[in-house]
Amino acid sequence: MTRQPSQLPTAVHQLFVQLIPEPPAADLGRSRQRLLTWYQAEAPAIAWCEMATPIGPLFLAAGPAGLQRISFADSQADFLGEFEPSTRLVHDPDGLAPYLDQLRSYFGGQRRTFSLRLDMSSLTDFQRAVLRAAAEIPAGQVQSYAQIARRLRKPKAARAVGQALRSNPLPIVLPCHRVITSDGRLGGYAGGLKRKRALLTLEGALFA
Amino acid sequence: MPTFDELIDRHHDEIYRYLWRLSWSPSGNDPADTAEDLTQDTFLRAYRAFGRLRPDSNHRAWLYKIATNLARNAWRKRRWSEPRQDIGDESVAELGGLEELLLNRQQRAALQAELDRLPLKQRAAVTLRYLHQLDYVDIAAILSCSLDSARANASWGVRRLRQTLDAKEFSL
Repeated sequence: MTRQPSQLPTAVHQLFVQLIPEPPAADLGRSRQRLLTWYQAEAPAIAWCEMATPIGPLFLAAGPAGLQRISFADSQADFLGEFEPSTRLVHDPDGLAPYLDQLRSYFGGQRRTFSLRLDMSSLTDFQRAVLRAAAEIPAGQVQSYAQIARRLRKPKAARAVGQALRSNPLPIVLPCHRVITSDGRLGGYAGGLKRKRALLTLEGALFA
Repeated sequence: MPTFDELIDRHHDEIYRYLWRLSWSPSGNDPADTAEDLTQDTFLRAYRAFGRLRPDSNHRAWLYKIATNLARNAWRKRRWSEPRQDIGDESVAELGGLEELLLNRQQRAALQAELDRLPLKQRAAVTLRYLHQLDYVDIAAILSCSLDSARANASWGVRRLRQTLDAKEFSL
């Protein structure tokens, strides 16, 4: 159906304006404030920001329970689109300063491990176990998908390990890039193999 | 798709005004508290359902629809308890006789009383059309009725007001 432009008889509008009064601005403001207060309590703020790194821009998001996302999204719109629309996103680089500081020193070569509060509540138990296992691989070393699977006592789950790593919401900090194939190939990476290679080179696991 | 923040920012005021106007009565109490509670409830329900909404949905009409349903429930318990006739797909009435009208106090009181007697569907239709200036496609969606029925409810509401003026032999 084609939508016709609204043809409103202005005179009838004027009539109704005379009949039903306008709500007082103070009452309207009180309602708006009550709604915002409720919403802020209902939906805790997720702070986000963008940072420049040698492997391209990164987007970070953290909530009250800690860092919950690091993304290689191509644009700000793509990154914000990764969240549920009901999420209350607040651009807040200052609030993310502790995370930014550690990432900067990592990319500067001064830091090999991270000490950050991480929110992994959106993950399944298996994903968490896989990512924790990956986090135990020291910088400068690599392990294979099969090795991770064996460490989790699920030797046949190498493929599932790969999938869990691919959906890692906190790449770099949870170093899924340190997991490669058994025959020494890089395997896959959600941020692209170029970034995986760059990270392993930065850590000294690969020669530039 | 807008975020929920944006939905509040863009539509809180008009939804509040709508609920306030529906709650308003010439002889009644201050509608502020009712309108505020219904507005909160509207956005609370919208928030719960927000994740299931299609990105290309008409968010504005959707909010008005939630608000209208809540107002209907609230008034079933109150003043709208007596059965009232609903308007089907009737022909659209002419609006002549009400245009360019400046009301005196007596006329306004008579029309306000008549407006207060309208069934909710007509009251909502005239409020949406003549105060919130929505088009009939949206009004039909909000009132869950056909386009013809949306038009008929709005025009019937206006016709009732015109008849009120005629019956009282007010000069136009």
